[in-house]
Amino acid sequence: MIAIVSCRTLTKTYVQGTLEVPAVRSVDLDIEPGDFATLAGPSGSGKTTLLNMIGGLDRPTSGEVSVDGVSLTKLDKNALADIRLHKIGFVFQTYSLVPVLSAEENVEFILRLLDVPVRERRTRAREVLRQVGLAGMEDRRPARLSGGQQQRVAVARALGPKPAIVLADEPTANLDSKTAEELIGLMSNLNTVSGITFLIATHDSRVIAHSRRHIEMTDGRITLDERRNNAVAA
Amino acid sequence: MLFALAWRNLWRQPRRTLLSLASIVFTGALLVFMLSFQIGVYGQMKESALKLFDGYAQMQVPGYADDPDLRRSLTDPAGLKSAALAIPGVDAAAARVNAFAILSHGERSFGSAIVGVDPTSEPLVSKLAASITTGRYLNAADSDTIVLGQTLARNLKAAVGDKLTLLGSGMDGSVATDVLTVVGIYDSGIPELDRSVAEIPLSRAQETFSIGPRATTVALAGPSLSAFQNAVPALGNVSRVRGLILKEWSDLEPEVRDSITLKYVTSAMLYVTLVVVVTFIILNTLLMSVLERTREFGVLLAIGMRPSVIGQMVWLELVLLASAGAILAILIGGALALYFEGHGIMYGDLGKVTAQYGLPSRLYPEFSALSALIGPGALFVAISLGGIVPYLHVRRLEAASAMRAA
Repeated sequence: MIAIVSCRTLTKTYVQGTLEVPAVRSVDLDIEPGDFATLAGPSGSGKTTLLNMIGGLDRPTSGEVSVDGVSLTKLDKNALADIRLHKIGFVFQTYSLVPVLSAEENVEFILRLLDVPVRERRTRAREVLRQVGLAGMEDRRPARLSGGQQQRVAVARALGPKPAIVLADEPTANLDSKTAEELIGLMSNLNTVSGITFLIATHDSRVIAHSRRHIEMTDGRITLDERRNNAVAA
Repeated sequence: MLFALAWRNLWRQPRRTLLSLASIVFTGALLVFMLSFQIGVYGQMKESALKLFDGYAQMQVPGYADDPDLRRSLTDPAGLKSAALAIPGVDAAAARVNAFAILSHGERSFGSAIVGVDPTSEPLVSKLAASITTGRYLNAADSDTIVLGQTLARNLKAAVGDKLTLLGSGMDGSVATDVLTVVGIYDSGIPELDRSVAEIPLSRAQETFSIGPRATTVALAGPSLSAFQNAVPALGNVSRVRGLILKEWSDLEPEVRDSITLKYVTSAMLYVTLVVVVTFIILNTLLMSVLERTREFGVLLAIGMRPSVIGQMVWLELVLLASAGAILAILIGGALALYFEGHGIMYGDLGKVTAQYGLPSRLYPEFSALSALIGPGALFVAISLGGIVPYLHVRRLEAASAMRAA
């Protein structure tokens, strides 16, 4: 099976003054299509940095990373933006919606960037919002949605362009337990039913309990990468 | 979508946007009104200065202005008048003989500019006839009469009814002498005129200075200076084909021209300063709003929006703000200018003083496309160009570091 994400000896070192701080050290990792993988580890273990490099948000110091067969290492800013737009969906820790756009417009916005025709993008936006359980709330702006609902819009926005993979960075960190459970259930269900690939950086044991592949990082290195058959069902 | 996004972004902080908008509108409206006011008042200044004596333009023999010799005179002033009056925009033409002579009264003698004028057509190009304070102006039946400026009359100790002796030289080099009766004394408010200019009937001047049917200049006027300006090219042609030149208002009143130019230059410096200050205020505000949204821009970059597109969005916010401000400024400033263009602006006791010098007691702004567009246009261009700063700032953002911003 061809990996959606492939990292080879991926390394990131931050330079702070004269000090070199390694964040990710020579990581090799493949994410397969249909994976519902969690990336866990203590703070500073490098999971967000790794996620950012996979998402083309940050550049590796050395090594290779490719997404859906495209190497990101030598791409310029605009080409990386295009890769993110076409192949990667993002869900962030904080509710990262455009505050002046409604839920539907937030989803539509990314489709607009992809030049999807107006009727098609409206239909698609409504479809994914229904998928994440927000039918009837299309016209609400983020300020009129709860935290959980905003994260659902963020998931809908990530799913809108039908990406190769959704990268989520601590998506439940700001949610209460019930809402967090609902969001995890939603993502897990999307993975099971629609085959959407997820890579989720998280501390949250509830998220980890749902994962069918669990990766642990410590000090910038992968210390555990296991496939699990006992994940909580969606 | 970019347009809608930029517009909505502007109204995220309505108070801040309204304040920014207000500063553009206030400055723009002030510029519209001030420019309309200046154009109107300077127009009145020109009109007043020209109407008092010179006329809007004069036809002369080349070189006459530099060396006003009677031999440099027009051979067919009547034909010139007819040709000029046939041009639309010209409604008055008056032939003049300008000469220099010594006027004597009793034991007093003073050098004077003697102007031979046609008493019928002269009042149509010059307001000197209306400036008579004692006696009367020349009339068509007059022969040996003269009107004097009040300073000249005082210097000569001459009053209405007194006889003056004129001594000069004719075009042919002969001695020009005459005895003239003072019929009127004028007060133009222009010291130079009041001190030196005396007017006598045109026919008398032609006879006294042995100039025959000639004249030294033909002074022209129209319904207004702006209407007259349309006739200038045709008048230029009429002059050129006769080997003459047309002296326009700026040649006739170089002091007025220079004074107006100086006022425009000093005002322009003030206006440019205003535009620059307002531009910096607006840019500062927008840059603040951009810095506040760094994290959001990081997210937009992360989801695949190109940095240049985000930069365009920010630039568009500025352009929208500047456009709205400029349009409102034109509307408000224009409404003010148009109101006062109709009603005029009184300026208290100063009005009495300016009226004495030929300026009306009310000043009227003149609203035009130029006065409407130049100020708000400059603001729009300056603010829009300034948008390059936030644009470049946004273009330099990196998604990951932008998302880490507080």
